[in-house]
Amino acid sequence: MDAVFSGLASGFEVALDPFNLFLVLAGCFAGTLIGALPGIGPINGVAILLPIAYGLGFKPESAIILLAGIYYGAEYGGRISSILLNVPGDAGAVMTTLDGNPMARNGEAGKALSLSAVASFVGGTFAVVLMSFFGPALASYAIHFSPSDYVALMVFAFASLASLVGSNPVKTLLAAVIGLMLASIGIDANTGVARYTFGIPDILAGIDFLVVVIGLFGMAELIHLVEQQAAGTLKTLKIDKSFVTMKDLAFVKWTILRGSVIGFFIGILPGTGASVASAVAYGAEKRAARDSSKFGEGDMRGLAAPEAANNASAGGAMVPMLTLGIPGSGTTAILLGALLLFNVTPGPLMFSQRPEIAWGLIASMYIGNVALLIINLPLVGLFARMLTIPQQFLTPLIAVLAFIGVYSVVSNPHDLYMITLLGVFGWFLRKLQFSLAPVILGFVLGGLFEDNLRRALSISGGDWTILVTSFNSIILYGLALLVVVVPIVLGRRRRSRSEEDSPQAPA
Amino acid sequence: MADRIFAGVLFLVAIGYTIIAFTVIRAPFQYDPLGPESWPRILGIVSIPCILFILAKPDVASLGLPAKTWSRLAALVVMLLAYAYMFQPLGFILATFAFCVALSLMLGARLLPALAFSAGIGVVGYFLCTKLLDLNLPAGVLTIFR
Repeated sequence: MDAVFSGLASGFEVALDPFNLFLVLAGCFAGTLIGALPGIGPINGVAILLPIAYGLGFKPESAIILLAGIYYGAEYGGRISSILLNVPGDAGAVMTTLDGNPMARNGEAGKALSLSAVASFVGGTFAVVLMSFFGPALASYAIHFSPSDYVALMVFAFASLASLVGSNPVKTLLAAVIGLMLASIGIDANTGVARYTFGIPDILAGIDFLVVVIGLFGMAELIHLVEQQAAGTLKTLKIDKSFVTMKDLAFVKWTILRGSVIGFFIGILPGTGASVASAVAYGAEKRAARDSSKFGEGDMRGLAAPEAANNASAGGAMVPMLTLGIPGSGTTAILLGALLLFNVTPGPLMFSQRPEIAWGLIASMYIGNVALLIINLPLVGLFARMLTIPQQFLTPLIAVLAFIGVYSVVSNPHDLYMITLLGVFGWFLRKLQFSLAPVILGFVLGGLFEDNLRRALSISGGDWTILVTSFNSIILYGLALLVVVVPIVLGRRRRSRSEEDSPQAPA
Repeated sequence: MADRIFAGVLFLVAIGYTIIAFTVIRAPFQYDPLGPESWPRILGIVSIPCILFILAKPDVASLGLPAKTWSRLAALVVMLLAYAYMFQPLGFILATFAFCVALSLMLGARLLPALAFSAGIGVVGYFLCTKLLDLNLPAGVLTIFR
């Protein structure tokens, strides 16, 4: 307990440093702007801005604080396009459109926006508070993990990924394997043997993480935007003078709290991010409500629950990323990759070895949440103006940002072709209903997975049974099995009862 | 059908990947029980049944895009490749100008706004990035700005 408070104190020292404080605010602001752009979600926003943040040459804690601010801000900003345009920026925001957009159409746009800002704030803050206690505890437990336990943890991560993300588990698993395969390209660090390089010097060191991220999330998004061909300006609803009242907040306070709890714990599960959390929270709220007839037509509870859950899951997803080095969502996978770029290895040792990064990040999230609430209530009109940027100018701008990002870091024109090709590949994956988040998770975890497997077998001298001998690993394999079996059983039961169709988690 | 074609291509790649893992990759000497080839072998063996499952039970019948959309997407990819090709030799300002004009015109912008926007992005973007943010961008033929 004391360690938590002294850690937080040192964290605030880092986060309140004037430069870092400025970066938190700048990140939150830029994130909200990017998140508010129609069709661009947190993951695309972080992906596009990551190389630029990296290229600026900040200290690792400053850069990661900036990126986390962008991530948080984009989660806030995403609701603006969902509510006013009915265009969700990413899968996590789909649930927000269900009741948020009808509210705006009923002339309560201002209320919907302010209510969702408060719900996001509560969800986000709740998650950060829990994280400050959970994180160090989990880290001090995980410090004793052996390589074979890590293998089990990784299996659990991919199992929950396959079972909870996307519409087709086989496709999700294959997407993760594609990520792992991409990660296996390049020189093997243990033996110096080149794998799958075909003599091309540019990929001897492996495909750069930034290239994969920008390709799959920046360029694929760009191709998607052009496919949709939204020429001209999308029609946005006006923001009116209505505002959330204390009475409204009292009405939804339990909803917000339930959404926060659900969001945080789903966020912790490796691989499952905001999309699953918000869908589950919405479904639970609809089932719990005594009168659910207004859901889908502008019920405040239907807006507050997914918004609280999706911001809580953004915090929850940080927990396994910081303490175990296993990201809890696609976006945290990108943040993990960013930390690796700075030669910081997230994991149980980070709290003791690089406390300024771990605690600085946590403290910055407290500040970021408050800042986001403050800038979001009065400035929402300014952010909403982002929605009116004509698509024909927004689209080229995304391409230019992606090119600047990739070129400024490596200065190798070869990478520009790579992001274009990966973008085409990512677009096809997306069109065929593969989710892209597993690919990036696989890519980030590939090296870690392989290293731990090889280390475990080196310890045992080639005996594979080492993988299932420790208590931790058996528990983790059990959990992995559970996470695969339970949804199947529940799905069967639901189908046999053929109740009302519960909202499906979008891919 | 679309699913099957894509899965078919992936299948060929996965087979190739696995064959390479089993034949080509070999460490000259190694002390560990698992060499550089074991991990790719495992991945290959996991991926092939997944792909076969998709081949057997595809769930996306067609991409459902009209021919016009396909040609627009093809044009976009050509523009991106051309942008990548010109980026270094021509320099950021000119390459970006050309790319933005072409893409925004294709997306339905009128000529004058497109020219103004593209020139703005090229020039402002260049100086913002190189002077203010200290990022590295190619000056290309406009060597005076270096």
